[in-house]
Amino acid sequence: MTDRPAEAVIVDRGYRHFEGIRKGRRGAIGAVVRDGLRRVLGLRRKGRRKILPWSLITMALISVAVLSALHYAANRVGVTDLVADELPHHREYFEFISRVALLFIALATPELLVPDREQGVLAVYLSRPLRTIDYLAAKATALGILILGFFLIPQTIFHLLLGLFSPDGFTTYMLDHIDVLWQVPATSLIYFVGYASIALIIATLIPRVGFAAGIFLGVMIMFNALSGFFVEFADFAGSEYGALLAFESHPHLIRDWIFGASTSGYPMTRAGFEPWVALVTIVAIAAVAVGMAWNRYRRLS
Amino acid sequence: MRHGASNRGSSLRHHGTASRASFSRVTSLISTRNLTHSYGDIKALDGVTLEVPRGKIGLVGANGAGKTTLIRNLLGMLRPAAGHMEVLGMPVSRESLDIRSLVGYMPEGNCLPLDQTAADFVGYAAELAGLPTDAARRRSSEILFLVGLHEERFRYLGDFSTGMFQRVKLAQAIVHDPEVAFLDEPASGLDPEGREHMLDLIRRLGDFGISVVFSSHILSDIEETCDWVVMLDGGRVIRSGPIGDLGIAESLTVEVLGDPEPAARWMTERGATVTFAGATLDVRTAGEDVFTLVRDALVATNLGVRRLSQRAVTLEEAFIREAQEEEGHD
Repeated sequence: MTDRPAEAVIVDRGYRHFEGIRKGRRGAIGAVVRDGLRRVLGLRRKGRRKILPWSLITMALISVAVLSALHYAANRVGVTDLVADELPHHREYFEFISRVALLFIALATPELLVPDREQGVLAVYLSRPLRTIDYLAAKATALGILILGFFLIPQTIFHLLLGLFSPDGFTTYMLDHIDVLWQVPATSLIYFVGYASIALIIATLIPRVGFAAGIFLGVMIMFNALSGFFVEFADFAGSEYGALLAFESHPHLIRDWIFGASTSGYPMTRAGFEPWVALVTIVAIAAVAVGMAWNRYRRLS
Repeated sequence: MRHGASNRGSSLRHHGTASRASFSRVTSLISTRNLTHSYGDIKALDGVTLEVPRGKIGLVGANGAGKTTLIRNLLGMLRPAAGHMEVLGMPVSRESLDIRSLVGYMPEGNCLPLDQTAADFVGYAAELAGLPTDAARRRSSEILFLVGLHEERFRYLGDFSTGMFQRVKLAQAIVHDPEVAFLDEPASGLDPEGREHMLDLIRRLGDFGISVVFSSHILSDIEETCDWVVMLDGGRVIRSGPIGDLGIAESLTVEVLGDPEPAARWMTERGATVTFAGATLDVRTAGEDVFTLVRDALVATNLGVRRLSQRAVTLEEAFIREAQEEEGHD
């Protein structure tokens, strides 16, 4: 056994200068993106901050597992093609998951922007080699990764499982369903832009995460109902333009357009608009959201 | 020259605006000419012209004097209405990002997310300054040790006291090893013990080769810590210079046995400021030890001492004097 010193010694480590490489502006932008992902997912935060995001992610993955199991079971018992076609596929999965994604976006967008602004952390960002536009672009990138990941990862798993369970074999299934490779990413992008733009406008204006999330959900529900009222009951010149307020249903309409399904029944189509008008509306709202965020943060900085 | 300068050179080359050699020759910390900044009709800075060397710089003035506005302009966070600014020899208007790579900033208000641990946030602050993730974590741990928060580094910031909060704010400002740290009212809200600890940390930054620009409306803090002072009043610079040149000096009151005039003349000839009434002399020196001067004067003029008391002219008195003189000029 070795002898131990009788008394402990306090050593002042002093100060050491940093002699490694510095990544500058690019490194700073990367750091903001990584922090955004961690913040929304509750990583390196208290346990209760993880509950909501991971519950929603779990819900998305469980629903894929259930749908895939349905297809597996149908293939095992050898249902007819007619019945197999009636089973939920990618479009139908979007129909379900877009509702869950709405909650995820309501949580993620304010979480990315509001605390930095309200807790004064912006002062730290703006004293680092970052421009306002870098900060906003990094936050938008983090949001994009999260939301697109929320749509694309379960859809990719679903597509691969459908291929594996297909009686025609994996390769044949993949070749027969090659359109899915652009339809799913395009639809995911539409949902992201369509919903996150509205959430961005609200998160730019509202100073509390919970309020901003609630107001976002309220706007999506209320404006959809309001547009339905304009289309169905209002009887004045130009009332059909009330259909443009159906922010929640525009991405659904575009989704059906992309997947070649029937587009009737949406406020826009009932008001006599073509699906591309919904697309233009989404792009216009996105432009307004970016402009508002830029203007607000430029003034804050 | 500090070790870190070589890295800074590469960082600057990365931005393509300055070379290591040109940066290392820079001795001026801050240089401004006719700097003006307004909030609507209110002029927060009014023709500020400054030339400040490296070191521990005190920025003093009442609330609303323009201290924070000056710092935020120097960091490129605010755009001035008129004037020219340079920090570390680089023009703020063109190279604010390069400047921000080399400086740290501790804001006056809250700047900490309450849901993160001190270690995570300080590490993140280092990454924001461009440090790689591993290095940022290591630096975070070292700097939190330096500011006395090593034991608490894994606690959430929402659970911190005001004193700990201020120390984390200082840690995030220096974690990336800056050339200069701008500290806006770093001791505000602290109890006497916390204030003393903060001032000690600021003094140590100077020993590490980090220049400090330390704003405060508490003049004794600046007096204890800094070697150069910039006085602001109503957005104007009323004085900028070494703290020793501002008339902040040791003062001695001596009551002598006999005629004090010869002793007063003897000391005045040697650079002291002497006033006398009756047999009582008030002696003030800028650099020389006042006791030595008085002793030598009494010996030279063969005078005895009845009473002797010491008093210091504070920065506060100097500030009031300068402000009154400035008003007199207006």
